[in-house]
Order: sequence, then structure tokens, then C-alpha cells
Amino acid sequence: MAVIGEYEIIVVGAGHAGCEAAWASSRMGFETLLLTIHLETIAQMSCNPAIGGLAKGQLVREIDALGGIMGRLADETGIQFRLLNRSRGAAVQAPRAQCDKAKYRLTMKHWLEATPRLTIFQAIVTEVILSDGKVRGVRTLDGSEFLGRAVILTPGTFLNGLIHIGLQSYPAGRANEPPSIELSECLRRLGLKMIRLKTGTPMRLDRQTIDWSFFTPQPGDEDPVPFSFWTKKKLENKIICYLGYTNEKTHEIIRRNLDKSPLYSGKIKGIGPRYCPSIEDKVVKFPHHNRHQFFLEPEGVDTAEIYVNGLSSSLPLEVQKEILKSIPGLDQAKILRPAYGIEYDAVLPTQLKPNLELIEIENLFLAGQINGTSGYEEAAAQGLMAGINACLKLKGEAPFILRRDQAYIGVLIDDLISRGVEEPYRLFTSRAEYRLNLRMDNADQRLTPYGYRLGLISEDDYRSFLEKKEKLKKVMVFLESEKIFWPQGGSLTLKKYIKMPQVSFDDVIKYAPQLQELNSEEKRFLEAEIKYEGYLKKQQREIQELSEVEGIKIPPDFDFKKVPGLTREAIEKLGKFRPSTLGEARRIPGITPAAIINLFVYIKKIKQAKPEKTGLADVSRET
Amino acid sequence: MIGEIDLNETIVAMATPPGPSALGIIRLSGPAALEIATRIFQPRHELKPWCLVQGYLIDLDQGEPFDEATAIYFPAPRSYTREDMVEFICHGSPIILEEVVRLALRAGARMAHPGEFTLRAYLNGRIDLLQAEAVNDLIRATSLHQARLSFSQLSGRLSKKIDSLREALIEILSQIEAAIEFPDEGLQINKEETGQKIKEVLAQVEKLIESHDLGQAMLRGLTVALVGRANVGKSTLFNALLEKDRAIVSPYPGTTRDYLEEKIRVGDFLFNLVDMAGLGQPGHPVEEEGIRRGRQLASLAEGLLIILDNSEPLTEADLEIIALAREKKAIFVINKIDLPGRLERDRLNDFASGRQIIGISALHRLNLDSLKKAMAEVFPPSLNKNYEEIIFHWREKISLEKIREALHQALDLLETGYSEEFVAEEIRSAANVLGQLTGEIKSEEIINAIFSEFCIGK
Repeated sequence: MAVIGEYEIIVVGAGHAGCEAAWASSRMGFETLLLTIHLETIAQMSCNPAIGGLAKGQLVREIDALGGIMGRLADETGIQFRLLNRSRGAAVQAPRAQCDKAKYRLTMKHWLEATPRLTIFQAIVTEVILSDGKVRGVRTLDGSEFLGRAVILTPGTFLNGLIHIGLQSYPAGRANEPPSIELSECLRRLGLKMIRLKTGTPMRLDRQTIDWSFFTPQPGDEDPVPFSFWTKKKLENKIICYLGYTNEKTHEIIRRNLDKSPLYSGKIKGIGPRYCPSIEDKVVKFPHHNRHQFFLEPEGVDTAEIYVNGLSSSLPLEVQKEILKSIPGLDQAKILRPAYGIEYDAVLPTQLKPNLELIEIENLFLAGQINGTSGYEEAAAQGLMAGINACLKLKGEAPFILRRDQAYIGVLIDDLISRGVEEPYRLFTSRAEYRLNLRMDNADQRLTPYGYRLGLISEDDYRSFLEKKEKLKKVMVFLESEKIFWPQGGSLTLKKYIKMPQVSFDDVIKYAPQLQELNSEEKRFLEAEIKYEGYLKKQQREIQELSEVEGIKIPPDFDFKKVPGLTREAIEKLGKFRPSTLGEARRIPGITPAAIINLFVYIKKIKQAKPEKTGLADVSRET
Repeated sequence: MIGEIDLNETIVAMATPPGPSALGIIRLSGPAALEIATRIFQPRHELKPWCLVQGYLIDLDQGEPFDEATAIYFPAPRSYTREDMVEFICHGSPIILEEVVRLALRAGARMAHPGEFTLRAYLNGRIDLLQAEAVNDLIRATSLHQARLSFSQLSGRLSKKIDSLREALIEILSQIEAAIEFPDEGLQINKEETGQKIKEVLAQVEKLIESHDLGQAMLRGLTVALVGRANVGKSTLFNALLEKDRAIVSPYPGTTRDYLEEKIRVGDFLFNLVDMAGLGQPGHPVEEEGIRRGRQLASLAEGLLIILDNSEPLTEADLEIIALAREKKAIFVINKIDLPGRLERDRLNDFASGRQIIGISALHRLNLDSLKKAMAEVFPPSLNKNYEEIIFHWREKISLEKIREALHQALDLLETGYSEEFVAEEIRSAANVLGQLTGEIKSEEIINAIFSEFCIGK
């Protein structure tokens, strides 16, 4: 066992989570090693050739606001941009972009290679090295050892991955890439509770064999909205996506072949996501639909590969071909990569602290699909937070935790650690109680100051953020004071005018032409702040009230057995989940109000007793 | 309040009201319940769980038995509070009961706060808030009908109703959220349909709010005012119904309080009888003042007993009083039937327009039972008005009013073309308040609801 290198932070897996983690830690000044099974597949988009979407787009904005990469990379490699929910309010609008898959990973590799203090190395990690419950480094398949003060595991779907195409299956982390079997075993040996999950991906078709005339074009936006707050260049749409539908013939074929489906034959044990069902799931669960939609999405500008969004499947290849034949326009289509299902191991995230560090093993952080999430954006967000927190931990500083009312990142992590997962977790805007405040347009207002303090936002970028903030403040004052006078008499401030439902920000340009120079994000921000004002104020009050109880801290090494009146069940649960605040404790499934009150009373008593430094057992009580 | 309760302490209280009776019950609940019980009670056999065991209550100082009693030990969680509990059934002498409580306190228990046993049952998750309230209502039931309703609430019927309303709202919410969350799937919400569904929930919320008046009436009792001109015998009747000599028959000389109120139970119902003290000298009644006061009283009451004098023809004052009965539930009472009748029965029949006319003699206690029977028939709210569930408490009414407001807002926003997330916000808020009613808020429901209904792919 040769020690090949010594680093401060080791990141295992160069997927979306791993890349953000490595980027963050090296930018925060820590010597970082990024290990990947395959250098060519750094930041590979395994499935959908797109970044963003509802809730995910907001996540990317938050990652960008904190100084992470995903937003800038999506702008750089995006080939079609759409803003979703344009007709609705800003709180439910989200950017989405089709990206050139090859360009995405190559650009990421290029950026990472140019990052100081970051070393990339190709190796298969088999073990995490521990001593005294603390992480020491990792071991790879060829016997090398890499020492690190903190390790971040971001292996994606590779842990004990098993691919299913029809009733054939073979071990793989992704199509034809080797799985991480030893690493998964290692985690089991360390006593981590795991869960088996599944997901799937659709076939890729050769664009030259598709008759496009049968499908409806879905062009990008005329005025693409960038992901990053700092993207200055004008974005271009380079491709068009197309919409198509299956039909009853297709469904017939699927029904006839269900016994060859590993899911329906019971061969797959893992639990799949309800919101990303395979086409066979859709046909079985919604028999009354006589058609299901799908989108034909080019995977890049220079490639022939077309991603069939909506036709994820683990049916055998012959059946996949039959399915294609039944759809006019695809009947001559050639499959370049078959659709497949994949089962993989994940770690139950209730074993993590809010900073994504394992409760039982010091300095070992987990981020991404390993925590039971699905989606590139969910992974990237965790990777960023894990990277930041690994550095803070090594510095001996307080962790960086975002609350549910501060960011979708907060909602995501809190959901994972307090409720665990039973199926692959995906973010939805409806998971956020404070969605009216967690918007794409104000992510920088909420998070950039943190990013700057952490050292992830450059001086220049921070300066332009501050200038923007000032400018928006001034414009708001202007809107509150400037009035429109109606011809029939009466007046209205511009702000009140914008509040009206049929009015959008652009409608006031005619009353104040100087507002034309604001960009679309700035307009969106002002419009949202004005339209949601009443609700935002109400929510602020709520957050205030809640935070008093929510925020009461539970010390990290708190012994729940000492709390009088707790049931054995509660002690067990609290010991397992290890909440760090009362708010977290409250959300643990099965914890009763009684347990919370007991905790509250006891913690209060500790606080009162502390000044005299008496023993906790001596705190007196009237009988 | 929360900072004061310590669930670690074992509490004790008398479960039966003070006053001599054959039996009295003392309960202990908390971690030291069994330990305290065994210190003050010597069982004849071993105190096995859920078994009634005979034994003796012991004086702590001398160790001497001072009374026989039986005890039951309920180990957690199968007890009323889900904690360890012991219940003693002793002789119902107040002295003995107080002594038992005192012994328990000396042995380490703490006096329970009012309602604390039920509070612990709620905190420990055995019942929800609505059920906790129902326990109290059941104990204080003023009529069998109300007791039945409270029992049904205790059994969770109201909770089920609230839950079904929540489910309805979450279903509406899931449709809106699906449309928001999956813009590419073309799931547009149908404004009319959504509006209709919201209106359905709103209607049920309105009904529950309405029922509060009935609920309050049942808890508080029905207010019935005795109205009539001076000297028709109101106070005599008042006393007769009370069978106590409470009202003073001579007029009050200018006091601020000018009416009497007493409770009587007639059949299934509790009535608050209100008697307006007569005014003016006997023989020189200040008619206008009396009538004005009568009107005031009548407007506040739920029902009226219009009292008339059998021995005299109808006067102007009588007619004014009779007019009060126009909008109210009323029974016409002809008093002094022992005297020769000069009251015009036919005219009265016209005025009564179908309502009951009962002849009595308050002084001689004649035919009072018929009057009471009529009261029990006429005054209670018609219970077949189809109130499936009744809201008894102000807390619930306030919450339901908040929900009503939110749902009206949602409809408004839907109408005026606001984007869906505004509507979603109001409905979400309404669903949350419903959750607070039962004291529990469930999450993840919206996601679950969306995916059971929708075929989504991405």
C-alpha cells in the first residue's frame, strides 16, 4: 500500500456534485484531489441533456449566487434556452437550457484543469481509510493510498450499480462504465444504512433516421434568460426540440411485453421515482391516456444523437425497436444507445448532519445521488455545500447551513436529513413553504453576500452585485413615489399600478421610459417584490415566530437519554437523526409534540443552570 | 404555559367532584405513578397491570391503614395519558380523598393543573386537539344531545370531517401545483372546475361556522326571556319554574341590574331563564319603560315566553309585547287561569298564528308541566337542520373564519386572473389552518397527491 499523495480535501467522483465540491474547496484555498473513474466523463450528463427546469432552475441560480459553477457552465454550453412558466408569476418561473453534452463536460474539465490547488486523477476508489472514527483518506483499486483530512464522496449512481435492459442485467455505474462495488461494501462495513434505488434513461436515436415532419417544433425563447447573474454575453438558440406522442399501438406493444420488464417481473428491487416514470409505468398506471407525450432533444450541435425525453424504459432492445416502429416519424429511426434501467445503492441521508458530514464518521461528507436525490442540479447543490462545509470544518469554523426560508438548497438538505428518502428525491417548488421568496430573480440578494464571505465570489463580481442592489433600491423608491395621473382624475403610484394582476413591469415603461435600461432579471425582481409584497410580509412574520422555537439549538453531543420524560422510542429516534435544532427535531417523523416540549423545557433549564455551573442533575424543581 | 409544564413530574388529582358520595376516584399519571402508589397503598394481591386490586390506603407516618380502596395500574402506553397511571377508587368522603391526594403529594407527586391529564394524552399523541376539547365538553355536557355530539367529537368524527376538508383542499392544491410544476405537460387548471371545488369546501366551512351558534347555545344553554306587562305574574312564574324563591316580587328601586337570570333544566335542555323585574308601582305601571325594556330583552333572547293575564282583556301594552314575538320563537302563556277568564281567546289565536298557547297558574302551580314540555319542544334549535358536526368552541370558529377568508381570497384571485401561485398560497394557508385544528400538520401530502393523479415524465 503506497501513499501516493497527501491532500487536504479528497473528492471521490467527478460528477455534478463532485465538480462543484472540488471547485469550491480549491477556491477556498484548500489543496484538493478530485478522483474519477474516467477522465472523459467528468461532469457527464447521464440522462437528460438539459440543466434547469422548475425548482431546479432556481437551484442553479442559488448555486451561481454562491459562486458555484453550474450556472456559468450552462450559459457557456447551452444550445437552447427557455424560461418556463412565463405566463405565471416570478416565484414559479424557472430557466431551463438544453446543453451540448460533449461541450459541457469538456468545458468543465477545462475549467477544473485550470483551477489552482486542484489535482485531477483517474482511479477507482475502493475504500475510505479511517482511524479513530475519523477519515484519513482513500484507497484505490491498484492499491494506492491518498491521504486527506476530509473526504467528500460523490459517486452518483455507481455504488453497486446494476443495469437492466429487458431481463438482461449487468453491473455498471452508467452504460458500460464499471460500477463501484468495493466502495459500496466499504460503506456497509462502516455501518452505514443503505437503500436500493432505481432510475432509468431513454434511448438515443440517430437524427438522420427521423422524419421530423411528423413532430411539432419547440423553439427556444427569443430573448434567452441566462442562468448566471454574471453572464454578460447574449445567448443564442442553436437547436430546436420537437414534440411527439405515443399511440394505442405503442401501448399495446408495451402491455404485451410487460413480463419482459425487469420492474414488472420483480427483477428490479430498487424503488424508482414516481415523477420520472418509465413509459411502461405510464402505460400501466394511466391506461385511460390514449397517448403520452415525448420530446426529441438534440444532445449537441455536432452530434447525431437525439434524446427521447419521456420514453425512459428498461424493456428489451427488440421491444424498444417495436415501440419506435409504432410511432409515425420514428418508424425508421435507428437506436444509437438503448434505453435502460439502473439500480444502485444510496446511503440513507438521515445519517448526515446539516453540513452533509456523516454523524458517525468525522470529516466524511456525502453529496449527490449517493444521498438518494435525483437530478444534476440537486447533486450540484449538495456538492457545493459539502465542499464549502468540508473547508469550514477543517478551518474549525461554524458550518454554513441554509434554512428552508433562505434557499431551495436549505429545503433540499433539510428534507433529506430530517425525513430521509424512500424513493429518489427531486425538488419541487411546492416543497418550499416560502416559495414566494425563493425565486430565481432574488437568489443573489439572498445568497451572494454569503458566497463573498466564503471566498467564492470575486471582488469584481461582488462589486457589481452591490451596485445592482443599490440601483434596485433606488428604483423601488422611485416606483413608490412616482405617480400616474388618470385623465378622469385620481392617481396611483407606479408601485400600486404594478401590483394589479393584469399589469406587468413592462407596462410602466411608457410612464417612466428610463426604466427601459433595466435588464429582464432586474425587472423580474422588482415586479415580484411588488406583486408578492403582502404575502412576503406575512411570511416574514411567520418565519420570525417560528424561528424562535425552530432555532433553539441542540448541542452536538447532546445526550438525549438525559432528557426526562422522553419515551424510549423518542430517545432512539433523536439519537438516530441527531437534530441540531428544535425545528429539525420537530420534523422527524414520529416525534410527538410531547417530546419537543420535554426537550424545550430541559434545554431551557440547562441554559438557566449554566451560569452557576452546577451539575445538571442538581437543577431543583418544585413538587 | 409551555415553559411551566414538566412532563417528567408525576401528577395527581381527584377525578370526581368534591362533595360526599359513595365513591371517589384519584388518578396518578407520570413516571413515578407506580412507585408513589405502592408507597401509599398496600394491595392485598400484587398490583398486576389492568387488574382491579383491593387493598388499604396507608398513612405515611405510622404505616397504618386508614381506609379500604381498590386500585388499577395502567402501564404506559396503554393508559389515558399514555404514561404510567394508577387510579384509586376509594370511599367518596371528601376528607379521605383529600388525605389521599396529600399523601401522594408527600410521596413526590405534583398537583395536576386543570385538564392536565387530557393535555398529556394530547401531547403523547393519543388524541388530537379536537378530541381533547371534546373530553371537556363531554364532562360539562348540558344536555344528553350535546353529550352525544361531544362524544362523537371525542370519537373523532369532527376530526374526520376536518381531515376530509383538508384532503379536498390538498386535491385542489395538487392540481394547481401540477400545472405549475410541469408546464410542458400542458396541465392547465380549469378555472370553473377549480372554483367550483373551492366553493364546495367553502360551503362546508360555512356550515361549520354556522353550527357554532348552535354549539354555543347547547353549551351555554338557551336563553328564554319571560316578557309581559307589569303584574301579569312573570316573577311568580319565574319562581315557580325555578321552584325556588329567587326573584323578589316587589319592584327594584332603580338598580343598575334590572333582570334576573337562572338556569333550569327541562328535559334534555338547559335554559337560561331571564325575568325582567317589573317597573312602577303596582297599579301605576310605567308602561312605555316596561315595553322598551321588554323589547331589548326580547331581541337578545333565543325564545320568549309571552305572559298574559287571563283575568283581563288584552291591553295596548299586551299587544306591544305580543308584537315582540313576530320574529322569535315564542310560547304564549296565559297566567292566572284560576281566575275567571276575560282575555279574548279568539283575538289571541289570531295573534298567535299557530304558536302554542298554554294556560297556567303560576301561583297555584297549575299545568306547569305542560308549559315545560312545550318549552322543550319549541325553543331548542331544530336539530334536523342537518348539522352533521357542530363546532362548540371559539377557537375552532376563529380558525374556520380564517379558512373562510383564505378560500374567499382564493376564489377572488382565481376570478381576477392572478397567476396560480397566488391561489395556491391561499389554499395552502387554509389547509395549514385546518391542520392546526387537529393540532397536527402533515407534509409531503401535496407531492403524494400530485403523483397519484398525474402521469408525468421528464
